[in-house]
Amino acid sequence: MVNTVLNIAIHYRKWVYWGLLLLTLIFVAQLPKIQIDTDPENMLNATNPERVFHNQAKATFAMHDTIVVGVVNQQSIYNPQTLSALVDVTEYASSIEGVVQADLMSLANVDNISQAQPGTIRFEWMMKSAPSDLAGAQRIREQAERLPLLRNTLVSGDGKAAALYVPIVDKNQSYAIARDLKAHIASLGSLDEWHITGLPVAEDRFGYEMFVQMGISAPLAGLTIFLLLWVFFRNIPFVLPAMIVAMATVLITMGALIGMGFTVHIMSSMIAIFLMPIAVVDSVHILSEFADRHKPGQQASHTIRQVMGHLFTPMLFTSVTSTVGFLSLMLTPIPPVQIFGAFVGSGIMLAFVLTVIFVPAYLSGLNDHTLSRLLEKLPKEQDSKLTPALRKLGKLAGSHAKLWLLGFAALFALSVYGISLININDNPVRWFKADHELRIADSVLNQHFAGTYDAFLVLTDTNNLSHEAIQAIAGIAGEKQMSDATRTWLRQQAGILEQDDDLSALLMAIDDKSFELSNDTDIALLATLQADVESLSSQSKRFLSPSVLDYISQLQVHLQGSGLVGKSNSLADVVKTVNRELRSGTETDFVLPSSANGVAQTLLQYQSSHRPGDLWHFVTPNYRQSLVWLQLTSGDNQDMTAVVELVERYIQDHPLPDGLQLNWAGKAYLNVVWQQEMVAGMLDSLLGAFVIVMVMMVLLFRSLAFGILAMLPLTLTISLIYGLIGWLGKDYDMPIAVLSSLTLGLSVDFAIHFIERLRATWAEHKDWQQTLALMFEEPARAISRNAIVIAMGFTPLLFAPLVPYVTVGVFLASIMAISALVTLVMLPSLATLVRSWLFKS
Amino acid sequence: MKKLLLLTTLLLNTSIQAQEARDIVRQAELAAYYAGDDGRSAARMIITDNQGRKQMRQFTILRRDQADGGSQDMMVFFSQPADVRDTVFRVVKHTDSDDDRWLYLPGLDLVKRISAGDKRTSFVGSHFFYEDVSGRNTELDDFTLQEQTPDHYVLEGKPKDPASVEFSRYLVKINKTSMLPVEIRFFDNQAREYRKVEALKVEDIDGHPTVTHSRVQDLLSGGQTEMQFRFIKYDLGLPEDIFSERSLRTPPRDWLNLKD
Repeated sequence: MVNTVLNIAIHYRKWVYWGLLLLTLIFVAQLPKIQIDTDPENMLNATNPERVFHNQAKATFAMHDTIVVGVVNQQSIYNPQTLSALVDVTEYASSIEGVVQADLMSLANVDNISQAQPGTIRFEWMMKSAPSDLAGAQRIREQAERLPLLRNTLVSGDGKAAALYVPIVDKNQSYAIARDLKAHIASLGSLDEWHITGLPVAEDRFGYEMFVQMGISAPLAGLTIFLLLWVFFRNIPFVLPAMIVAMATVLITMGALIGMGFTVHIMSSMIAIFLMPIAVVDSVHILSEFADRHKPGQQASHTIRQVMGHLFTPMLFTSVTSTVGFLSLMLTPIPPVQIFGAFVGSGIMLAFVLTVIFVPAYLSGLNDHTLSRLLEKLPKEQDSKLTPALRKLGKLAGSHAKLWLLGFAALFALSVYGISLININDNPVRWFKADHELRIADSVLNQHFAGTYDAFLVLTDTNNLSHEAIQAIAGIAGEKQMSDATRTWLRQQAGILEQDDDLSALLMAIDDKSFELSNDTDIALLATLQADVESLSSQSKRFLSPSVLDYISQLQVHLQGSGLVGKSNSLADVVKTVNRELRSGTETDFVLPSSANGVAQTLLQYQSSHRPGDLWHFVTPNYRQSLVWLQLTSGDNQDMTAVVELVERYIQDHPLPDGLQLNWAGKAYLNVVWQQEMVAGMLDSLLGAFVIVMVMMVLLFRSLAFGILAMLPLTLTISLIYGLIGWLGKDYDMPIAVLSSLTLGLSVDFAIHFIERLRATWAEHKDWQQTLALMFEEPARAISRNAIVIAMGFTPLLFAPLVPYVTVGVFLASIMAISALVTLVMLPSLATLVRSWLFKS
Repeated sequence: MKKLLLLTTLLLNTSIQAQEARDIVRQAELAAYYAGDDGRSAARMIITDNQGRKQMRQFTILRRDQADGGSQDMMVFFSQPADVRDTVFRVVKHTDSDDDRWLYLPGLDLVKRISAGDKRTSFVGSHFFYEDVSGRNTELDDFTLQEQTPDHYVLEGKPKDPASVEFSRYLVKINKTSMLPVEIRFFDNQAREYRKVEALKVEDIDGHPTVTHSRVQDLLSGGQTEMQFRFIKYDLGLPEDIFSERSLRTPPRDWLNLKD
């Protein structure tokens, strides 16, 4: 098979060149269709039940994606200048196309409910126009701080900050809207500090930074690799095929991804930088060996046949193991991670195919002049600084085998303990660096307010009273005195109710009918039915019940007391506030009315304001589902998880009112959901990759012993890295989770090459000390070189603007270095100890 | 001289026009809010939000004019949904000062005076404002006659005090025969048409053209409220003393019985 491939490559060189060019161009033509996706929600499948529920809840309660504008004045925001700027920005914001004007919230467009004088209640704009003096500003402070829904949400408790919540229709417009707001604020000449944040802004910003990363880091990686190869071989035409293969692999893979209609998410934006170094590795092997073996005067095609004869199988296996490592990511239930794994995995196989066809074709076409210049300029291995260092390492590794093993065992034990210390946590806002303006805005606003991170507790009444209403209808329809016409009509109504579950529509129909009828008996019977259905309808409005509202209140008190929640807002707060103002206006009347009718009438008053729709953020118009809005000052998943657990424990100790169901929604909660899926999924993919790679090793070496041996260095490496993360207290987050299984596929390469060469050398010399010494010549150099290429290839990520990229860069570079080192030390010492078992056949 | 003459004629014309517009508005006000000496009607409101979710309210309105085009007594008695039944609003409308408004909430056993203030707040959660129910004082706006068709006048209203309202202007279409406003379109400060009030059905009742079905639409966010009036009667001879604080807690059942 190798020969067939080589024959084609060597004899149809021109075809190979043009073919590769054409293929690349076809896929490059797809690139302009790129669509960026920065929505963390997409970490979950579109059909994920919790995501579906989250979006339903958002729609039901009109909770839009929101840009948060904050203004801070170190003395106090309650001065005419700051307040007038706030009015101005509010008016401006509500005029922007794409802003949901009705749900925009600011001190300048909410209602004040107050007592004008004893016995009178007053609804008026809190601040339709800015006050002209300090006294007026002070009055606004007093009024705003009386209203629990405003305090620490629209104005900070310390009086130094105010916030504007700008809901938007489409989060793709958030950048444009934020930019307009920023420009308008700048034009005001305000002396206050203004901040713009909110998840849609962060996401948009993220997309922009992703482009920067792709535009800078990937080409930079290419350049780094090019420079390294030049250092190794000192000949540009000679290293060119490696670069061509890498570029073509990256362009074709990205073209395929985009052409197939996948969006470019944070994960897939890293495909280029992953493929670039991995794709040159096979070429480096070929070039190294070609340079070693080629003798002056020899035909290049002859040398390449020799080289490929040696390398084809190990290259195939290292490519397949790396591919397995990446494809195992498809076991994770996170769509962007699956796409990333699938495309990098296929990209590696593509790189392999391109390498075995294009590189031989290219090399066999080099003229003698180039080749002899190459051999002249090639740095002597003896001059390399790597050579003496590796020899020293070889001696060390071979000499104290038992001591080394003891050391590795101790390291492994420490690592396992370290892994047990790992803290699973993530926070998409922290994907920005600490000095990013969004991080600053985030920390300032969370310092002043009760929190800019949202989680929603959604309570749903699962009791269905339509059934009882249908029975009530059947009961009345069964009365003998009833006229046939009315009876038929009633049965129709029962059918309609069964369809639409709408008791209030039934009540309207009965009401209308009772005016139509002239038969007194029918009228009387219908009146009975009307009373029954009315009572059922009232019962069905569960969130008007004072006991249910009291349960919510108690839960809120408990949440507040825990210190985990900055503030919570619920229907109970609305009812209590209006009730207080309807009564004395003093704190003693900040209570729930004693009856459901009292609650309904209180809410009827709340709806008589300028913003009647605000009520529907907390309850549905049929009063069967209610939302409690939790504001958290931290978006850390572990803090959100703690809140979820707190609520779970509370519900265990204080069971929910009969028939009620509790669910979570909100971005902060969704992040927890996908993180949990990721952690569990990663373990699956790690174990899956481990088993498959081990089976492949056993097959490759046709020996269980060698198969197990090949897995040991990477096992220690991965444990060591994760152990270190545990010991250092670095959070186990999205980028770190993703890396576990793919490093497995990458670092096993070193073991494959080492063992292949070890066996070949042993077979040749049959002398253990000599074999070990020889292993630390060319084979160790090839392994180290590859480790250096890959590690250095990832270093441009260190300059990326976003934290996950930096993490990936640091992590991969160090895992490559450690993995090569562990392989070079562990395999010879271990092999020395179990030599008789390894080579018994 | 000629120019001056022209200017004077123009000014005169405008003021004549303004006077004409005001006359039309006054007639429309009388037709819409002062038919008969008193009146009763049962209203049903269907409030639909932008998600298509509906709420229903039913109430009976009693009205008695103290003087045609002048002060009025008004009471609104809620009957549906059952949980707000017997909630009552009492309004004494004045044309030369702020209205007096009271409220009775049976569930809280509370009679409350509603402070004079902004009347452009939602009427019990609907898209109608209090002012739409009781009638906006025509003295608060300036009117100009924009257009005349064979059937309609189209007038433009502009607030005398723009800071007190959310609209910058509105166009009202008045039917020449009934003199009833049949369509009002409101525009905000950005010149967007954001709100529309329409008479969907006009019937002749006891010789008075009467709107029996009307609708308000929120053109920006998409919700709407429809209001239907039934059992309308004029000149029932409603006694003055039922428009009192006593009637808040003890409604005048006889006058509220629709089945007679």
